Amino acid sequence: MAAPYVSTTPPAEPPAGTPIEAAPIPSRGQSGNALARIWRAIRSNRKAAVGSAIMVVFIFVALFPGLIAHDDPEQDNYAPKMGISTAHLFGTNQYGQDLFSQIVHGTREVLLIAVLVGLATTAIAVLVGVAGAYLGGLWDNALGVITDVLLVIPLFPLLIVIVAYAHATSVWVMIVAITIPSWSYTARQLRSQALTLRSRDFLEAARVRGERRLYIIVVEVIPTMTSLIVASFLTNALYAVLFSSSLQFIGLGNSSSVSWGETLYWAQNNAALQTGQPLWAIAPGACVALLGTGFALLNYAFDEIGNPALRPVRRHRRSGRRSRARAA
Amino acid sequence: MTELLRADQLTRHFKIGNALSRRTLHAVDDVSFTIGEREIVALAGESGSGKSTIARLLARIYSPTSGTITFAGRDVKTFRSRKDHLRYSSEVPMVFQDPFASINPVFRVSHGVLRSLKLHRPELSGAERQAEAARVFEVVGLKPDMLQRFPYELSGGQRQRVGFAQALAMKPKLILADEPVSMLDVSIRIGLLNLMAKLRDSEGVSILYITHDIASARYVADRLIVMYAGQIAEQGPIEDVLSAPKHPYTQLLLSAVPDPKAPLSDVADRGEPPRVVDPTPGCRFRWRCPLAIDTCQTVTPVLADLATGHEVACHVAQSGAEVTAFLKDAS
Amino acid sequence: MPELLDVQGLCVDYVLPRGAVRAVDDVSFTVDRGEFLAIVGESGCGKSTLLFAVAQLLAPPAEVTAGTVTFAGANLVGLTDRELAGVRWRNMSVVMQSAMNALNPVKSIGAQFKDALVAHGVKDKSQIRAKSAEVLKMVGIDPIHLGSYPHQLSGGMRQRSMIAMAMLFTPDLIIMDEPTSALDVVAQRALMVQIKELQREFGFAIIFVTHDMSLVSHFSDRLMVMYAGQVDELAGTRTTFERPRHPYTRGLLEAFPSIRGPKTPLRGIPGNPPDLATPPAGCRFHPRCPYVVDMCKTKEPELYPLSKEGYPADDVLVRCLRIADGSLT
Repeated sequence: MAAPYVSTTPPAEPPAGTPIEAAPIPSRGQSGNALARIWRAIRSNRKAAVGSAIMVVFIFVALFPGLIAHDDPEQDNYAPKMGISTAHLFGTNQYGQDLFSQIVHGTREVLLIAVLVGLATTAIAVLVGVAGAYLGGLWDNALGVITDVLLVIPLFPLLIVIVAYAHATSVWVMIVAITIPSWSYTARQLRSQALTLRSRDFLEAARVRGERRLYIIVVEVIPTMTSLIVASFLTNALYAVLFSSSLQFIGLGNSSSVSWGETLYWAQNNAALQTGQPLWAIAPGACVALLGTGFALLNYAFDEIGNPALRPVRRHRRSGRRSRARAA
Repeated sequence: MTELLRADQLTRHFKIGNALSRRTLHAVDDVSFTIGEREIVALAGESGSGKSTIARLLARIYSPTSGTITFAGRDVKTFRSRKDHLRYSSEVPMVFQDPFASINPVFRVSHGVLRSLKLHRPELSGAERQAEAARVFEVVGLKPDMLQRFPYELSGGQRQRVGFAQALAMKPKLILADEPVSMLDVSIRIGLLNLMAKLRDSEGVSILYITHDIASARYVADRLIVMYAGQIAEQGPIEDVLSAPKHPYTQLLLSAVPDPKAPLSDVADRGEPPRVVDPTPGCRFRWRCPLAIDTCQTVTPVLADLATGHEVACHVAQSGAEVTAFLKDAS
Repeated sequence: MPELLDVQGLCVDYVLPRGAVRAVDDVSFTVDRGEFLAIVGESGCGKSTLLFAVAQLLAPPAEVTAGTVTFAGANLVGLTDRELAGVRWRNMSVVMQSAMNALNPVKSIGAQFKDALVAHGVKDKSQIRAKSAEVLKMVGIDPIHLGSYPHQLSGGMRQRSMIAMAMLFTPDLIIMDEPTSALDVVAQRALMVQIKELQREFGFAIIFVTHDMSLVSHFSDRLMVMYAGQVDELAGTRTTFERPRHPYTRGLLEAFPSIRGPKTPLRGIPGNPPDLATPPAGCRFHPRCPYVVDMCKTKEPELYPLSKEGYPADDVLVRCLRIADGSLT
């Protein structure tokens, strides 16, 4: 038995008679399939272009490490402590391992963590946030309490505790451990946006049409939140990169796996900067920073593409300089 | 006129304020009216009159605090199964005010129509649904190829037509139109008002036309209900009410409507909103009414028939005296 | 007597990456001291952009690309903010469309009046209080409301306090952008009457922008009808209502159902306003015009004066080829 949705807030009386009839925008330049639109958006926005370029490079490296670095990252029979050379682009560390191939092969694990944590945390955040906003009442309170508890506890110390307790021996443990507390941040944001959508006429129209509540949440609400969901994914992926590398750096990762954080760990353990092997520490650190920048740029770009009000406007500074108009 | 929908003493209160100062907002109080087949009834009033609340009560978005709604002979409270609810949704759909917010921007404009057909006319196949969607688009004056457009490609007037198409797809008996033209340009409004008249005449649909613009009400409606502060002030056949308004508030409204052809009338009223929070008994218009007598301060007036079908809730009018408070000199 | 405001050949463009869109195209008009000019048009016609251009409130990407706005002898276009500050509010003030958006919700009315007064050099507290109370009384609000916040006032009172704020320095010109659109019909009428009374008492000129022609029918001296960024008709108000010339004006007047008189079926104006990025060739109204002929589709009409018709004192200006050559009367 489906009870009709009963609202308890009085309707707001809209202002009388402000006409907002707008000229119809012809379809030129706006239609075309999704890929064409994405390509156009990337070309027109500098941040999107740079961010995408960075991501494409890293994805390629993660997928085909063997094509780029021919050496085995774990082989340790090269001459140790060598500087940059054509044979070893980043030199070797004091164990005789080729640093370039360590970085290249480590990309895969970093990206895997970033993408999977991003997807998992976003999925949970969407579920919790939107369900809480739309179901309201007791459900909203219960989900809110869980979210708030996780928000209040400082994230990195919590991660240390979880990972240390779990004795991270595989990348999957790292992924799950980082996912557990991280979803709470974006859950709050998504809940706020879902709340503002709740009173939109088209949702009321769907309700009056007789749609079931689950249908409305999944088909009518969530698609209108795509830009926030994508932003949530990018943010969570970015933080996953930073947190996983940090956890590995302080020794809580799996020290026999190949990853940027692990390389940093070994570099730190062997006082790389002091013993004349600066690239051992700098290279992985720079990669973390670069990948993070890529995610961040894409995030900004998405915001700007989705919300034209945020796009940078050519400014004509008026105070102190005449504006360009002259009498015709 | 066969009765389609009947509202009996419909009341809706909202609790406002916090735990320290609980107050009740009387959005709608003791409202009774009927809507027949093949007629357009205009529900007119200003902000705070309760007209939007009535629409939402009839659409079952709110449930009444008290009172009953009877549709096609059945009390809507008796609806229990999903089938009953769905059938009511299809027979009494709603068209919303804001053309820019009432259609989901993510989907093509065919989405709402096709969903309505899928939910309420499951006997149709996919191809039949597409054909029916094209048909209702034509009825409302849109070209069928517009089905593939996105909402941002359509103008406000076209979007409102899409709203009517969505309602029509369900083979409705009564369309609740909540200020469907107030956010459209003046030259576009007539097109939609003509559409509403056409729906009544050729599709046989009744419409409850909620508006604050009495002139547009006169253009399309057969009957008029004037609301003030959650109650009905006056109702009846539209020409009767407009040519011989009996309630002081109706007269005030009429004299305030801008009319280039008539000389400017003297309206001393400032248009302050009515008091609907914890109202005391008595006529709610008494603070603004120059004719208020002692009874008006203590006894809430009830609708009474003054001529065939023309009802007024005013002590002064019911006592037989001439109500000339806000009448224009020229007519 | 020289005019108070003289706008000549004003063009405003929205400079977008895909090219400039001309929102206001070669608009010229004058406003005398104490005159009430109504600018009427539907959405997208450029009336609000025009208003902002006159008040020098345009923000990028909108900019004035041609024309002059001469106020009390000085061209406002091209002045810096500092130079404009001397004119703003003292000689010209603006009443925005929605008071709820224009008033600061976290400041009391009195505090907002004080902001405006202090910004223009009034420092003395008792003077501030006196002036604030005075303007509130002018618009019929009890000065006790100086301590109220905007949300505590009704819509009508909020709009009136906006007008009071515009009157703080009794300017020569007040520009109003649809000040009544958020109000109900009774409050709307009361506000229009109030505005007219204030004008009679203090003698300021008003430019009043609205989409509702009938609203200003009893209040404005002259009426300017805009369509697609251009002025289509400019004449005395009564003249326009009794004898509308331009087909668009005629269509507009026929789109208002009336309260009294016989009920006739109306047609409105079929079609939609054009996209200003690609306006129609020739006359911009021709796709919707019931009197269109071939030349309308290719030749762009100018604003032609009809004062030779013998209408006293009024210049009647109409942008229509067929009216100009007499084939349409």
